[in-house]
Amino acid sequence: MEVHREQIDKLSENTRLLRALAEQLKIPLLQIARQTELPKTTEYMLQDVNEQASMALRLLDGYLLSTQQISRGDLELQPTTVSSVLYDAAHNLAGIAKQYSCDLELETPYKLQPVLVHRESFEAAILALGYSFIEAQATQDDNQKKVITLAAHRSRYGVAAGVYGRQEGLSTDMYRRARSLYGRARQPLPSLTSTSGAGIFLADSLLEVMNTRLHVSHHHKLNGLAAILLSSRQLSLI
Amino acid sequence: MNILLIEPHQLLASTYKQALEGADHSVAWCQKAQKALHLADNHVPDLVIMELQLQQHNGIAFLHEFRSYAEWQAIPVIVHSLVPFNHYRADKKNLESLGIVAYLYKPVTSIKRLLDAVDQISTSDLRAVA
Repeated sequence: MEVHREQIDKLSENTRLLRALAEQLKIPLLQIARQTELPKTTEYMLQDVNEQASMALRLLDGYLLSTQQISRGDLELQPTTVSSVLYDAAHNLAGIAKQYSCDLELETPYKLQPVLVHRESFEAAILALGYSFIEAQATQDDNQKKVITLAAHRSRYGVAAGVYGRQEGLSTDMYRRARSLYGRARQPLPSLTSTSGAGIFLADSLLEVMNTRLHVSHHHKLNGLAAILLSSRQLSLI
Repeated sequence: MNILLIEPHQLLASTYKQALEGADHSVAWCQKAQKALHLADNHVPDLVIMELQLQQHNGIAFLHEFRSYAEWQAIPVIVHSLVPFNHYRADKKNLESLGIVAYLYKPVTSIKRLLDAVDQISTSDLRAVA
């Protein structure tokens, strides 16, 4: 047992992420496999299968992007408008959100300064994070309306951009513990989701290459995870 | 049969529910352990099909609680989980004592295999962990 634990401890971050992702991807693949077994396949069901497959592919793409960026090292950060990234991510999440009967909202303040990010990685991070929140929201109380908010706001250290919802129990301690557990435990965030929560850790990995990480954050009365991004001074002077 | 389906994944639950109802079973579905106790209290099921990985709850702990009520002790339970049985092999006796009649690993269990397992329970007194 001790030897086994030591072996697991030696797994690189990357392998841990891959393990979490493998656990996560079982669900959409299983959903696709079982849905095709049902005797009557409607157009609506085919749309479901399509959305599930597309989201699984996006998560895989996000993982590949994070590994490519880690091995490349010299990531070129560009001034980027946060609202445009959140808008694009929301557009790509719309199908899966509809499947889970979850409403998507966008909230960015007027005239928010551009931030320095690698746009592709940032969008992939928001997408992966959004997917995790949609899935987690689906297990919340049935009587409450399910809403996920992609939002940004100015903070003391820059611009906080992330995904927010009404879920309770999302604390800094819990998230810190989950970070040390993912890839090792099947449910590193048990109070948030019954899955491996791979989307959250994938987002964190994509952001880490840009020298930022996910933090527990609050946006009005909502709880969520967000990254603090540096404002682009160059563009704000224009 | 009246089936209580405890499945945390909404879309998977919808697929399994559709398949079971298509085979003339009546299905009550919930995502959480607490709600499962409430549903079972309102309408005693003939069979429970459940995932062990539940949000905020360990499935085994739920089963211990479920079995602590006299009226639910004889209800057969099929575990239908994303966790392979190997993970619980050391706990085999514990699982047997909880009245688990079949352990089906979701990724390799077709709808047909699930329906066969349900049919088997409705026609026999199978009482062994697969």
